[in-house]
Amino acid sequence: MRSDNSPGAWLQTTTGIVVVLLLVQFLTGVLLAFYYVPSVDHAYTTVSYIEKVVSSGSWIRSLHHYGSQWLTIFVFIHVIRLFLDRAYAANRIQWIVAVLLLGLVMAAGGTGYSLPWDARAFFSTRVAEGLMAGLPVAGGMARLWLLGGSEISGMTLSRFFALHVLVIPALIGAVVVWRMFRVQIAEFFGPRDAIVGTLVFLALALWALKHPAPFGPSVAEAGADYLPRPGAQFLWLYQSLKYVPGGLGSIVGVVLPGIALTVLIALPWLKRQRLVAGSLLGLGVVLVAIMTTVSYLSDRRDPRTAQQFAKQAAAEEAWRRQPFNPATITLAATPTTNATGGAPVMYTKFCVNCHGTHGQGAQQGPLKFPPLLDVSAKPRRSVDEIVSLLKDPTAYGLQPPMRSFSEKLTEEQMREIAEWIVKLKK
Amino acid sequence: MTAETSRRSFLKFLPLAAVFASIGGAAFRFLRPKLSAATNAWLDVASVSELAGPQPISRKIIAEQITGWAITTEEHNVFVLPAKNNQVVSAVCPHEGCEVAWEQNRNRFSCPCHESYFAADGSRISGPAQRGLDALPARVQDGKLQVQYISKEQATRA
Repeated sequence: MRSDNSPGAWLQTTTGIVVVLLLVQFLTGVLLAFYYVPSVDHAYTTVSYIEKVVSSGSWIRSLHHYGSQWLTIFVFIHVIRLFLDRAYAANRIQWIVAVLLLGLVMAAGGTGYSLPWDARAFFSTRVAEGLMAGLPVAGGMARLWLLGGSEISGMTLSRFFALHVLVIPALIGAVVVWRMFRVQIAEFFGPRDAIVGTLVFLALALWALKHPAPFGPSVAEAGADYLPRPGAQFLWLYQSLKYVPGGLGSIVGVVLPGIALTVLIALPWLKRQRLVAGSLLGLGVVLVAIMTTVSYLSDRRDPRTAQQFAKQAAAEEAWRRQPFNPATITLAATPTTNATGGAPVMYTKFCVNCHGTHGQGAQQGPLKFPPLLDVSAKPRRSVDEIVSLLKDPTAYGLQPPMRSFSEKLTEEQMREIAEWIVKLKK
Repeated sequence: MTAETSRRSFLKFLPLAAVFASIGGAAFRFLRPKLSAATNAWLDVASVSELAGPQPISRKIIAEQITGWAITTEEHNVFVLPAKNNQVVSAVCPHEGCEVAWEQNRNRFSCPCHESYFAADGSRISGPAQRGLDALPARVQDGKLQVQYISKEQATRA
Protein backbone atom coordinates (compact mmCIF):
# COMPACT_ATOMS: atom_id res chain seq x y z
CA MET A 1 0.00 0.00 0.00
CA ARG A 2 2.86 2.38 0.73
CA SER A 3 5.31 0.89 -1.73
CA ASP A 4 5.08 3.76 -4.22
CA ASN A 5 7.69 6.46 -4.06
CA SER A 6 5.38 9.36 -4.75
CA PRO A 7 5.52 12.32 -2.36
CA GLY A 8 1.94 11.50 -1.36
CA ALA A 9 3.18 8.35 0.42
CA TRP A 10 4.65 10.54 3.18
CA LEU A 11 1.17 11.89 3.89
CA GLN A 12 0.03 8.37 4.81
CA THR A 13 2.44 7.98 7.71
CA THR A 14 0.12 9.20 10.46
CA THR A 15 -0.15 5.68 11.96
CA GLY A 16 3.57 5.65 12.76
CA ILE A 17 3.41 9.05 14.44
CA VAL A 18 0.42 8.02 16.54
CA VAL A 19 2.09 4.76 17.60
CA VAL A 20 5.32 6.51 18.64
CA LEU A 21 3.51 9.26 20.54
CA LEU A 22 1.28 6.69 22.30
CA LEU A 23 4.42 4.83 23.37
CA VAL A 24 5.95 8.06 24.70
CA GLN A 25 2.78 8.77 26.72
CA PHE A 26 2.77 5.26 28.21
CA LEU A 27 6.45 5.27 29.15
CA THR A 28 6.53 8.77 30.63
CA GLY A 29 3.20 8.18 32.39
CA VAL A 30 4.50 5.04 34.06
CA LEU A 31 7.63 6.92 35.17
CA LEU A 32 5.62 9.82 36.64
CA ALA A 33 3.48 7.34 38.59
CA PHE A 34 6.60 6.24 40.48
CA TYR A 35 6.60 9.59 42.34
CA TYR A 36 3.15 11.13 41.96
CA VAL A 37 0.71 10.70 44.85
CA PRO A 38 -2.98 11.29 44.04
CA SER A 39 -4.02 12.99 47.27
CA VAL A 40 -5.02 16.62 47.69
CA ASP A 41 -2.37 17.25 50.33
CA HIS A 42 0.50 15.57 48.44
CA ALA A 43 -0.22 15.91 44.68
CA TYR A 44 1.24 19.41 44.38
CA THR A 45 4.27 18.52 46.53
CA THR A 46 5.08 15.37 44.57
CA VAL A 47 4.79 17.17 41.20
CA SER A 48 7.11 19.91 42.54
CA TYR A 49 9.51 17.17 43.62
CA ILE A 50 9.46 15.63 40.12
CA GLU A 51 10.09 19.08 38.60
CA LYS A 52 12.84 20.24 40.98
CA VAL A 53 14.61 17.23 42.48
CA VAL A 54 14.22 14.08 40.39
CA SER A 55 16.85 13.70 37.64
CA SER A 56 15.31 14.31 34.20
CA GLY A 57 12.00 14.81 36.01
CA SER A 58 11.19 18.11 34.36
CA TRP A 59 11.94 16.67 30.91
CA ILE A 60 9.88 13.51 31.49
CA ARG A 61 6.90 15.53 32.73
CA SER A 62 7.20 17.95 29.83
CA LEU A 63 7.29 15.03 27.35
CA HIS A 64 4.09 13.74 28.92
CA HIS A 65 2.42 17.17 28.96
CA TYR A 66 3.21 18.28 25.41
CA GLY A 67 3.12 14.70 24.14
CA SER A 68 -0.57 14.57 25.02
CA GLN A 69 -1.21 17.72 22.98
CA TRP A 70 0.77 16.46 19.98
CA LEU A 71 -0.90 13.06 20.25
CA THR A 72 -4.39 14.58 20.12
CA ILE A 73 -3.48 16.66 17.05
CA PHE A 74 -1.97 13.69 15.21
CA VAL A 75 -4.82 11.32 16.05
CA PHE A 76 -7.16 13.94 14.60
CA ILE A 77 -5.01 14.26 11.46
CA HIS A 78 -4.97 10.44 11.31
CA VAL A 79 -8.79 10.35 11.34
CA ILE A 80 -8.94 12.97 8.58
CA ARG A 81 -6.41 11.01 6.52
CA LEU A 82 -8.47 7.81 6.92
CA PHE A 83 -11.57 9.74 5.89
CA LEU A 84 -9.83 11.00 2.74
CA ASP A 85 -8.72 7.42 2.01
CA ARG A 86 -12.32 6.19 2.49
CA ALA A 87 -11.03 3.76 5.15
CA TYR A 88 -14.51 3.66 6.74
CA ALA A 89 -15.59 1.55 3.75
CA ALA A 90 -12.36 -0.38 3.13
CA ASN A 91 -11.25 -1.25 6.67
CA ARG A 92 -14.03 -0.80 9.19
CA ILE A 93 -12.02 -1.78 12.27
CA GLN A 94 -9.21 0.65 11.39
CA TRP A 95 -11.73 3.46 11.05
CA ILE A 96 -13.65 2.69 14.26
CA VAL A 97 -10.44 2.28 16.26
CA ALA A 98 -9.08 5.61 15.02
CA VAL A 99 -12.26 7.45 16.04
CA LEU A 100 -12.38 5.68 19.42
CA LEU A 101 -8.75 6.61 19.93
CA LEU A 102 -9.54 10.27 19.33
CA GLY A 103 -12.19 10.18 22.05
CA LEU A 104 -9.97 8.27 24.48
CA VAL A 105 -6.97 10.55 23.95
CA MET A 106 -9.18 13.58 24.62
CA ALA A 107 -10.51 11.91 27.79
CA ALA A 108 -6.96 11.10 28.94
CA GLY A 109 -5.93 14.71 28.43
CA GLY A 110 -8.99 16.00 30.26
CA THR A 111 -8.50 13.81 33.31
CA GLY A 112 -4.72 14.31 33.32
CA TYR A 113 -5.15 18.08 33.53
CA SER A 114 -6.48 17.79 37.09
CA LEU A 115 -3.73 15.63 38.53
CA PRO A 116 -1.01 18.20 39.46
CA TRP A 117 -3.65 19.95 41.63
CA ASP A 118 -2.18 23.36 40.87
CA ALA A 119 -4.44 26.33 40.16
CA ARG A 120 -4.73 25.40 36.45
CA ALA A 121 -5.75 21.89 37.45
CA PHE A 122 -8.26 23.18 39.94
CA PHE A 123 -9.96 25.47 37.43
CA SER A 124 -9.98 22.81 34.73
CA THR A 125 -11.67 20.49 37.21
CA ARG A 126 -14.20 23.25 37.90
CA VAL A 127 -14.85 23.53 34.15
CA ALA A 128 -15.26 19.74 33.83
CA GLU A 129 -17.67 19.93 36.74
CA GLY A 130 -19.64 22.71 35.01
CA LEU A 131 -19.73 20.85 31.69
CA MET A 132 -21.12 17.73 33.39
CA ALA A 133 -23.63 19.74 35.43
CA GLY A 134 -24.92 21.43 32.27
CA LEU A 135 -25.80 18.19 30.51
CA PRO A 136 -29.51 17.85 29.79
CA VAL A 137 -31.62 15.59 32.06
CA ALA A 138 -28.80 13.69 33.84
CA GLY A 139 -26.51 16.70 34.42
CA GLY A 140 -26.80 16.74 38.21
CA MET A 141 -26.16 13.03 38.43
CA ALA A 142 -23.23 13.17 35.98
CA ARG A 143 -21.61 15.93 38.05
CA LEU A 144 -21.93 13.93 41.29
CA TRP A 145 -20.48 10.81 39.64
CA LEU A 146 -17.54 12.71 38.17
CA LEU A 147 -16.69 14.46 41.46
CA GLY A 148 -17.35 11.42 43.65
CA GLY A 149 -19.36 13.69 45.95
CA SER A 150 -21.03 17.06 46.11
CA GLU A 151 -17.75 19.03 46.10
CA ILE A 152 -14.39 18.89 44.34
CA SER A 153 -12.25 17.00 46.86
CA GLY A 154 -9.76 14.22 47.37
CA MET A 155 -12.47 11.88 46.11
CA THR A 156 -12.46 13.77 42.79
CA LEU A 157 -8.69 13.59 42.46
CA SER A 158 -8.75 9.81 43.11
CA ARG A 159 -11.40 9.38 40.40
CA PHE A 160 -9.50 11.41 37.83
CA PHE A 161 -6.34 9.49 38.71
CA ALA A 162 -7.99 6.07 38.33
CA LEU A 163 -9.55 7.10 35.00
CA HIS A 164 -6.32 8.64 33.74
CA VAL A 165 -3.85 5.89 34.66
CA LEU A 166 -5.98 2.72 34.73
CA VAL A 167 -9.28 2.92 32.84
CA ILE A 168 -8.35 4.99 29.79
CA PRO A 169 -4.92 3.40 29.14
CA ALA A 170 -6.54 -0.06 29.45
CA LEU A 171 -9.18 0.95 26.88
CA ILE A 172 -6.52 2.41 24.55
CA GLY A 173 -4.53 -0.83 24.91
CA ALA A 174 -7.66 -2.85 24.20
CA VAL A 175 -8.57 -1.01 20.99
CA VAL A 176 -4.96 -1.11 19.77
CA VAL A 177 -4.78 -4.88 20.43
CA TRP A 178 -8.14 -5.32 18.72
CA ARG A 179 -6.85 -3.43 15.68
CA MET A 180 -3.57 -5.39 15.58
CA PHE A 181 -4.65 -8.96 16.35
CA ARG A 182 -8.46 -9.13 16.38
CA VAL A 183 -8.09 -11.52 19.30
CA GLN A 184 -10.65 -14.31 19.50
CA ILE A 185 -11.47 -14.74 23.18
CA ALA A 186 -13.10 -18.12 22.45
CA GLU A 187 -9.71 -19.55 21.48
CA PHE A 188 -8.35 -19.68 25.01
CA PHE A 189 -11.52 -19.48 27.08
CA GLY A 190 -13.86 -22.37 26.23
CA PRO A 191 -17.14 -23.39 27.89
CA ARG A 192 -15.42 -25.64 30.49
CA ASP A 193 -13.06 -22.82 31.47
CA ALA A 194 -16.10 -20.58 31.88
CA ILE A 195 -17.84 -23.03 34.24
CA VAL A 196 -14.79 -23.74 36.41
CA GLY A 197 -13.85 -20.06 36.51
CA THR A 198 -17.33 -19.15 37.72
CA LEU A 199 -17.23 -21.80 40.47
CA VAL A 200 -13.85 -20.65 41.77
CA PHE A 201 -15.01 -17.05 41.78
CA LEU A 202 -18.13 -17.99 43.77
CA ALA A 203 -15.99 -19.86 46.32
CA LEU A 204 -13.64 -16.87 46.72
CA ALA A 205 -16.58 -14.46 46.97
CA LEU A 206 -18.16 -16.50 49.78
CA TRP A 207 -14.83 -16.83 51.62
CA ALA A 208 -14.22 -13.07 51.44
CA LEU A 209 -17.74 -12.44 52.69
CA LYS A 210 -16.94 -14.39 55.87
CA HIS A 211 -13.33 -13.23 56.35
CA PRO A 212 -12.46 -9.53 55.93
CA ALA A 213 -8.81 -8.94 54.91
CA PRO A 214 -6.60 -8.49 57.98
CA PHE A 215 -5.92 -4.90 59.00
CA GLY A 216 -3.72 -4.38 62.03
CA PRO A 217 -3.22 -1.38 64.30
CA SER A 218 -1.22 1.55 62.92
CA VAL A 219 2.54 1.24 63.38
CA ALA A 220 2.48 3.97 66.02
CA GLU A 221 -0.24 2.22 68.03
CA ALA A 222 0.99 -1.38 67.81
CA GLY A 223 2.15 -2.64 71.19
CA ALA A 224 5.58 -4.16 71.75
CA ASP A 225 3.97 -7.61 71.91
CA TYR A 226 2.35 -7.36 68.46
CA LEU A 227 2.90 -10.61 66.54
CA PRO A 228 3.02 -10.25 62.74
CA ARG A 229 2.44 -13.19 60.39
CA PRO A 230 2.69 -13.16 56.59
CA GLY A 231 0.05 -14.38 54.12
CA ALA A 232 -0.33 -18.11 53.46
CA GLN A 233 1.76 -18.02 50.26
CA PHE A 234 4.80 -16.75 52.24
CA LEU A 235 4.59 -18.89 55.37
CA TRP A 236 7.24 -21.29 53.99
CA LEU A 237 9.68 -18.38 53.63
CA TYR A 238 8.78 -16.97 57.04
CA GLN A 239 9.42 -20.33 58.70
CA SER A 240 12.69 -20.96 56.81
CA LEU A 241 14.08 -17.61 57.99
CA LYS A 242 13.98 -18.98 61.54
CA TYR A 243 16.45 -21.73 60.65
CA VAL A 244 19.05 -20.01 58.50
CA PRO A 245 21.40 -17.44 60.04
CA GLY A 246 20.93 -13.80 59.01
CA GLY A 247 22.30 -12.95 55.57
CA LEU A 248 21.65 -16.44 54.24
CA GLY A 249 17.95 -15.58 54.42
CA SER A 250 18.30 -13.62 51.19
CA ILE A 251 19.77 -16.70 49.50
CA VAL A 252 16.89 -18.92 50.63
CA GLY A 253 14.15 -16.39 49.99
CA VAL A 254 15.33 -14.65 46.83
CA VAL A 255 18.33 -16.21 45.07
CA LEU A 256 17.33 -19.90 45.14
CA PRO A 257 13.69 -19.31 44.06
CA GLY A 258 15.02 -16.95 41.37
CA ILE A 259 17.39 -19.61 40.02
CA ALA A 260 14.60 -22.22 40.09
CA LEU A 261 12.25 -19.93 38.11
CA THR A 262 14.99 -19.12 35.59
CA VAL A 263 15.72 -22.82 35.02
CA LEU A 264 12.00 -23.54 34.59
CA ILE A 265 11.65 -20.72 32.06
CA ALA A 266 14.66 -22.06 30.14
CA LEU A 267 13.27 -25.62 30.25
CA PRO A 268 12.16 -25.74 26.56
CA TRP A 269 15.86 -25.42 25.58
CA LEU A 270 17.28 -27.84 28.16
CA LYS A 271 17.97 -31.59 28.04
CA ARG A 272 16.50 -34.13 30.50
CA GLN A 273 13.47 -31.88 30.85
CA ARG A 274 11.36 -34.32 32.94
CA LEU A 275 14.18 -34.89 35.43
CA VAL A 276 15.18 -31.23 35.86
CA ALA A 277 11.69 -29.77 36.16
CA GLY A 278 10.39 -32.77 38.11
CA SER A 279 13.05 -32.53 40.81
CA LEU A 280 12.75 -28.72 41.08
CA LEU A 281 8.95 -28.77 41.33
CA GLY A 282 9.00 -31.81 43.63
CA LEU A 283 11.54 -30.20 45.94
CA GLY A 284 9.51 -26.99 45.95
CA VAL A 285 6.26 -28.78 46.81
CA VAL A 286 7.89 -30.79 49.63
CA LEU A 287 9.73 -27.79 51.10
CA VAL A 288 6.70 -25.51 50.98
CA ALA A 289 4.38 -28.18 52.43
CA ILE A 290 6.71 -29.04 55.32
CA MET A 291 7.61 -25.46 56.21
CA THR A 292 3.98 -24.27 56.05
CA THR A 293 2.81 -27.15 58.26
CA VAL A 294 5.58 -26.55 60.79
CA SER A 295 4.69 -22.85 60.89
CA TYR A 296 1.00 -23.58 61.57
CA LEU A 297 1.87 -26.18 64.22
CA SER A 298 4.41 -24.07 66.10
CA ASP A 299 1.94 -21.18 66.32
CA ARG A 300 -0.83 -23.55 67.49
CA ARG A 301 1.23 -25.27 70.18
CA ASP A 302 2.64 -22.23 71.94
CA PRO A 303 -0.10 -21.05 74.35
CA ARG A 304 1.38 -17.54 74.65
CA THR A 305 1.36 -17.10 70.88
CA ALA A 306 -2.22 -18.38 70.65
CA GLN A 307 -3.22 -15.98 73.43
CA GLN A 308 -1.59 -13.01 71.68
CA PHE A 309 -3.31 -13.88 68.37
CA ALA A 310 -6.65 -14.04 70.17
CA LYS A 311 -5.91 -10.62 71.68
CA GLN A 312 -5.03 -9.17 68.26
CA ALA A 313 -8.16 -10.66 66.68
CA ALA A 314 -10.28 -9.11 69.44
CA ALA A 315 -8.57 -5.73 68.94
CA GLU A 316 -9.22 -5.89 65.19
CA GLU A 317 -12.85 -6.80 65.81
CA ALA A 318 -13.16 -3.83 68.17
CA TRP A 319 -11.56 -1.56 65.56
CA ARG A 320 -14.13 -2.68 62.98
CA ARG A 321 -16.95 -1.58 65.28
CA GLN A 322 -15.48 1.90 65.82
CA PRO A 323 -16.71 4.70 63.53
CA PHE A 324 -14.45 5.86 60.70
CA ASN A 325 -12.08 8.66 61.71
CA PRO A 326 -11.59 11.17 58.86
CA ALA A 327 -8.21 12.81 58.17
CA THR A 328 -7.77 16.55 58.67
CA ILE A 329 -6.46 18.35 55.59
CA THR A 330 -5.84 22.09 55.44
CA LEU A 331 -5.58 23.60 51.98
CA ALA A 332 -5.83 27.26 52.99
CA ALA A 333 -2.70 29.19 51.92
CA THR A 334 -2.86 31.69 54.77
CA PRO A 335 -3.64 29.85 57.99
CA THR A 336 -6.43 31.68 59.71
CA THR A 337 -9.09 30.82 62.23
CA ASN A 338 -11.41 28.30 60.63
CA ALA A 339 -15.10 28.95 60.58
CA THR A 340 -16.42 25.85 62.34
CA GLY A 341 -14.80 25.07 65.68
CA GLY A 342 -12.99 28.35 66.28
CA ALA A 343 -9.67 26.50 66.70
CA PRO A 344 -6.70 28.07 64.87
CA VAL A 345 -5.88 26.18 61.65
CA MET A 346 -2.40 25.29 62.92
CA TYR A 347 -4.01 23.79 66.02
CA THR A 348 -6.17 21.56 63.81
CA LYS A 349 -3.05 20.62 61.85
CA PHE A 350 -0.60 19.76 64.63
CA CYS A 351 -2.44 19.48 67.96
CA VAL A 352 -5.91 18.12 67.28
CA ASN A 353 -5.00 14.44 66.99
CA CYS A 354 -3.76 14.28 70.57
CA HIS A 355 -5.58 17.11 72.34
CA GLY A 356 -8.96 16.88 70.58
CA THR A 357 -10.97 19.34 68.46
CA HIS A 358 -12.01 21.40 71.50
CA GLY A 359 -8.96 20.75 73.66
CA GLN A 360 -10.76 17.93 75.44
CA GLY A 361 -7.77 15.56 75.26
CA ALA A 362 -7.85 12.00 73.96
CA GLN A 363 -7.02 8.44 74.79
CA GLN A 364 -5.37 5.97 72.43
CA GLY A 365 -5.05 2.56 74.06
CA PRO A 366 -2.89 2.98 77.16
CA LEU A 367 -1.70 6.44 76.04
CA LYS A 368 -3.55 9.38 77.57
CA PHE A 369 -3.26 12.83 76.07
CA PRO A 370 -4.04 15.61 78.55
CA PRO A 371 -7.00 17.96 78.05
CA LEU A 372 -6.18 21.66 77.64
CA LEU A 373 -9.34 22.92 79.34
CA ASP A 374 -8.98 25.47 82.14
CA VAL A 375 -5.16 25.52 81.93
CA SER A 376 -5.41 29.28 82.59
CA ALA A 377 -6.88 28.52 86.04
CA LYS A 378 -4.83 25.45 86.89
CA PRO A 379 -1.78 25.46 86.53
CA ARG A 380 -2.32 29.19 85.71
CA ARG A 381 -0.67 29.17 82.30
CA SER A 382 -0.37 32.53 80.60
CA VAL A 383 -0.21 33.02 76.83
CA ASP A 384 3.54 33.66 77.11
CA GLU A 385 4.04 30.48 79.10
CA ILE A 386 2.14 28.37 76.58
CA VAL A 387 4.21 29.84 73.76
CA SER A 388 7.47 28.98 75.50
CA LEU A 389 6.06 25.53 76.38
CA LEU A 390 5.38 24.95 72.67
CA LYS A 391 9.01 25.86 72.01
CA ASP A 392 10.48 23.63 74.71
CA PRO A 393 8.01 21.20 76.31
CA THR A 394 10.72 19.30 78.22
CA ALA A 395 11.44 22.46 80.24
CA TYR A 396 7.87 22.09 81.56
CA GLY A 397 8.40 18.41 82.43
CA LEU A 398 6.39 17.15 79.45
CA GLN A 399 7.28 13.82 77.83
CA PRO A 400 7.26 12.74 74.18
CA PRO A 401 5.15 12.46 72.08
CA MET A 402 4.74 16.15 73.06
CA ARG A 403 7.55 17.88 71.23
CA SER A 404 8.93 21.28 70.39
CA PHE A 405 7.10 23.16 67.63
CA SER A 406 9.62 25.97 67.22
CA GLU A 407 10.60 24.64 63.79
CA LYS A 408 7.04 23.92 62.64
CA LEU A 409 5.26 27.08 63.78
CA THR A 410 6.07 30.76 63.67
CA GLU A 411 5.98 32.84 66.84
CA GLU A 412 2.74 34.37 65.58
CA GLN A 413 1.09 30.98 64.98
CA MET A 414 2.12 29.74 68.43
CA ARG A 415 0.70 32.88 69.96
CA GLU A 416 -2.56 32.39 68.06
CA ILE A 417 -2.83 28.83 69.41
CA ALA A 418 -1.93 29.94 72.96
CA GLU A 419 -4.51 32.75 72.92
CA TRP A 420 -7.14 30.24 71.87
CA ILE A 421 -6.09 27.68 74.49
CA VAL A 422 -6.24 30.07 77.49
CA LYS A 423 -9.91 30.72 76.67
CA LEU A 424 -10.85 27.02 76.79
CA LYS A 425 -13.25 26.19 79.62
CA LYS A 426 -14.70 22.92 80.79
CA MET B 1 16.37 -10.58 1.18
CA THR B 2 17.37 -7.60 -0.96
CA ALA B 3 19.36 -4.68 0.39
CA GLU B 4 16.23 -2.58 -0.07
CA THR B 5 14.00 -4.70 2.20
CA SER B 6 16.67 -5.15 4.87
CA ARG B 7 17.11 -1.40 5.03
CA ARG B 8 13.34 -1.08 5.39
CA SER B 9 13.09 -3.61 8.21
CA PHE B 10 15.89 -1.79 10.03
CA LEU B 11 14.06 1.51 9.58
CA LYS B 12 10.97 0.02 11.17
CA PHE B 13 12.77 -0.15 14.49
CA LEU B 14 14.30 3.30 14.28
CA PRO B 15 11.53 5.21 16.08
CA LEU B 16 11.23 2.54 18.77
CA ALA B 17 14.99 2.62 19.31
CA ALA B 18 14.95 6.42 19.56
CA VAL B 19 12.11 6.42 22.10
CA PHE B 20 13.54 3.63 24.25
CA ALA B 21 17.12 4.92 24.15
CA SER B 22 16.25 8.48 25.18
CA ILE B 23 13.42 7.84 27.64
CA GLY B 24 15.00 4.59 28.87
CA GLY B 25 18.27 6.36 29.61
CA ALA B 26 16.47 9.11 31.45
CA ALA B 27 14.36 6.49 33.26
CA PHE B 28 17.44 5.07 34.92
CA ARG B 29 18.36 8.45 36.40
CA PHE B 30 14.70 9.27 37.05
CA LEU B 31 14.12 6.14 39.12
CA ARG B 32 17.44 6.18 40.97
CA PRO B 33 16.70 5.74 44.69
CA LYS B 34 17.09 8.73 46.98
CA LEU B 35 18.87 7.93 50.22
CA SER B 36 17.05 9.45 53.14
CA ALA B 37 18.95 11.95 55.19
CA ALA B 38 19.04 11.49 58.94
CA THR B 39 19.07 14.75 60.82
CA ASN B 40 21.78 13.65 63.33
CA ALA B 41 19.81 15.47 65.99
CA TRP B 42 20.30 14.53 69.62
CA LEU B 43 16.98 13.19 70.88
CA ASP B 44 15.89 13.15 74.51
CA VAL B 45 15.43 9.65 75.91
CA ALA B 46 14.95 10.23 79.64
CA SER B 47 16.22 12.14 82.67
CA VAL B 48 19.29 10.36 84.01
CA SER B 49 17.86 10.58 87.55
CA GLU B 50 14.97 8.24 86.72
CA LEU B 51 17.18 5.51 85.24
CA ALA B 52 18.08 2.78 87.72
CA GLY B 53 17.70 -0.93 88.39
CA PRO B 54 18.77 -4.12 86.66
CA GLN B 55 15.96 -4.15 84.05
CA PRO B 56 16.13 -2.59 80.58
CA ILE B 57 13.80 0.40 80.40
CA SER B 58 11.64 0.85 77.31
CA ARG B 59 11.51 4.37 75.83
CA LYS B 60 10.30 5.98 72.62
CA ILE B 61 12.27 8.54 70.67
CA ILE B 62 10.86 10.66 67.86
CA ALA B 63 13.24 11.13 64.94
CA GLU B 64 12.77 13.21 61.79
CA GLN B 65 14.08 11.99 58.45
CA ILE B 66 14.03 13.65 55.06
CA THR B 67 12.65 10.90 52.84
CA GLY B 68 12.27 12.05 49.24
CA TRP B 69 9.49 14.63 49.08
CA ALA B 70 8.52 14.37 52.75
CA ILE B 71 9.94 15.03 56.18
CA THR B 72 8.82 11.97 58.10
CA THR B 73 8.50 12.02 61.86
CA GLU B 74 8.62 8.51 63.24
CA GLU B 75 8.58 6.98 66.69
CA HIS B 76 11.29 4.43 67.43
CA ASN B 77 11.42 2.05 70.36
CA VAL B 78 14.70 1.92 72.27
CA PHE B 79 15.81 0.32 75.51
CA VAL B 80 17.99 2.01 78.11
CA LEU B 81 20.23 -0.46 79.97
CA PRO B 82 20.89 1.12 83.39
CA ALA B 83 22.91 -1.97 84.36
CA LYS B 84 25.26 -1.26 81.46
CA ASN B 85 26.10 2.37 82.21
CA ASN B 86 22.89 3.64 80.55
CA GLN B 87 23.74 2.26 77.14
CA VAL B 88 20.82 2.73 74.73
CA VAL B 89 20.03 -0.04 72.23
CA SER B 90 17.60 0.05 69.31
CA ALA B 91 14.62 -2.31 69.56
CA VAL B 92 15.01 -3.17 65.87
CA CYS B 93 16.13 -6.80 65.50
CA PRO B 94 19.40 -6.94 63.53
CA HIS B 95 18.09 -10.02 61.67
CA GLU B 96 15.21 -8.87 59.43
CA GLY B 97 14.09 -5.73 61.25
CA CYS B 98 11.07 -6.67 63.38
CA GLU B 99 11.00 -5.10 66.87
CA VAL B 100 12.08 -7.03 69.93
CA ALA B 101 10.18 -6.97 73.23
CA TRP B 102 11.57 -7.35 76.75
CA GLU B 103 10.39 -10.52 78.51
CA GLN B 104 10.78 -9.74 82.18
CA ASN B 105 10.04 -13.24 83.50
CA ARG B 106 12.62 -14.82 81.21
CA ASN B 107 15.12 -12.00 81.52
CA ARG B 108 15.67 -11.68 77.78
CA PHE B 109 14.65 -9.76 74.66
CA SER B 110 12.70 -11.81 72.12
CA CYS B 111 11.88 -11.05 68.50
CA PRO B 112 8.24 -11.77 67.54
CA CYS B 113 9.15 -12.75 63.97
CA HIS B 114 11.90 -15.36 63.69
CA GLU B 115 12.73 -16.26 67.28
CA SER B 116 16.00 -14.43 67.86
CA TYR B 117 16.81 -13.90 71.56
CA PHE B 118 19.05 -11.36 73.28
CA ALA B 119 20.35 -11.07 76.85
CA ALA B 120 19.59 -8.18 79.21
CA ASP B 121 22.82 -6.46 78.08
CA GLY B 122 21.67 -6.64 74.42
CA SER B 123 24.09 -9.40 73.42
CA ARG B 124 22.89 -12.22 71.17
CA ILE B 125 21.78 -15.49 72.84
CA SER B 126 20.36 -17.53 69.97
CA GLY B 127 18.35 -17.44 66.75
CA PRO B 128 19.01 -16.31 63.18
CA ALA B 129 20.27 -12.81 64.17
CA GLN B 130 24.04 -12.58 63.74
CA ARG B 131 24.80 -9.87 66.29
CA GLY B 132 23.45 -8.30 69.43
CA LEU B 133 21.05 -5.35 69.53
CA ASP B 134 22.52 -2.22 67.97
CA ALA B 135 23.77 0.41 70.42
CA LEU B 136 22.94 4.04 69.60
CA PRO B 137 25.40 6.92 70.11
CA ALA B 138 24.44 8.46 73.43
CA ARG B 139 25.43 11.40 75.60
CA VAL B 140 24.25 13.14 78.76
CA GLN B 141 23.32 16.81 78.42
CA ASP B 142 21.89 18.84 81.33
CA GLY B 143 20.91 15.69 83.19
CA LYS B 144 19.14 14.25 80.12
CA LEU B 145 20.18 11.08 78.37
CA GLN B 146 20.16 11.78 74.63
CA VAL B 147 20.77 9.56 71.56
CA GLN B 148 21.16 9.87 67.82
CA TYR B 149 18.93 7.50 65.88
CA ILE B 150 20.66 4.93 63.66
CA SER B 151 18.73 2.55 61.42
CA LYS B 152 19.52 -1.17 61.23
CA GLU B 153 21.01 -0.66 57.75
CA GLN B 154 23.32 2.11 58.97
CA ALA B 155 24.41 -0.10 61.89
CA THR B 156 25.08 -3.00 59.49
CA ARG B 157 27.27 -0.83 57.28
CA ALA B 158 29.22 0.61 60.21
